[in-house]
Amino acid sequence: MAAIVRLSSVFRRGVKPLFYQGTLLARPLVVPHNYQEQPHQLTARIHASQALNAGSGSKAASLHWTGERVVSILLLALGPAAYFSPCPAVDYSLAAALTLHGHWGIGQVLTDYVHGDAKIKMTNAGLFLLSTVTFAGLCYFNYNDVGLCKAIALLWSK
Amino acid sequence: MALLLRTFARQGVCLSRQHYGVFYRHAAPMGTTAKEEMNKFWAKNNKLNRPMSPHLTIYNWSVPMVMSITFRGTGVGLSGAISVFALAALVLPGSYPHYLDLIHSLSVGPYLIGLAKFGLAFPVSFHTLNGIRHLWWDLGKGFRIPEVYRSGYTVIGLSIITSLAVAFLL
Repeated sequence: MAAIVRLSSVFRRGVKPLFYQGTLLARPLVVPHNYQEQPHQLTARIHASQALNAGSGSKAASLHWTGERVVSILLLALGPAAYFSPCPAVDYSLAAALTLHGHWGIGQVLTDYVHGDAKIKMTNAGLFLLSTVTFAGLCYFNYNDVGLCKAIALLWSK
Repeated sequence: MALLLRTFARQGVCLSRQHYGVFYRHAAPMGTTAKEEMNKFWAKNNKLNRPMSPHLTIYNWSVPMVMSITFRGTGVGLSGAISVFALAALVLPGSYPHYLDLIHSLSVGPYLIGLAKFGLAFPVSFHTLNGIRHLWWDLGKGFRIPEVYRSGYTVIGLSIITSLAVAFLL
């Protein structure tokens, strides 16, 4: 029970990666010591697959977690940048960072509340569509209209 | 826990059959994956239509709890607002200054404008400051309960102050 609770809190912290639907290794790595005197073949087999389990497994989830923090810090830096030196570069960076941060953030919310393989796939597809349209819209605004920095400045000058 | 018991049980089975000298390719005891177990749980839960125990209605709310869900709420809200803005940019015909002029022409009082600005600034401010608090936690710092409350109150205080400053002074 405690293991399930701990596992679910691990998921909340972002273990589930963006597009990666692979399985997590939940195989127990415990081999009791008194079984070391088993016949050589069986021990070798158990140790071999144990080594395989210990070494294999993708780093996608961990990289996703780090990516989330990197984008968060980038977005933090873009705030003052937008205020003190507004320019198209900042406009487009803001569009990208905001969309990605929001996409991953909503992804975490969906991971927490949506259950069942089919529902998870559908909602994630919908989120991907929404994020794509959002990024497209922000870039369109940057290109054809005043741009994000100017827009906020104009809004506040009211 | 159950996984551990199953581990030992399966080890026992292997041990008793060792005289056959057979290679078991996947002799390492493997239960189901976490994902499989979760799906099984939810499938069974939904099928049996189990009633949910009261949780939010009975558990005492605490400052960290409220801050956490507000953090999530502001995040979802801000993300939604950005998406709506982007969609509007793609769909609506006029330009941004045009729509700003429309809002200007509504001639709302200055205090209402200030209030609206505060309403926009506060979610951004709170989400940003609490986000920094989260990054602080990600570094492994500030987990002791008094520290959690201290950083929490700091975030709330700073959010209100910066939002007021941005809304009425900028």
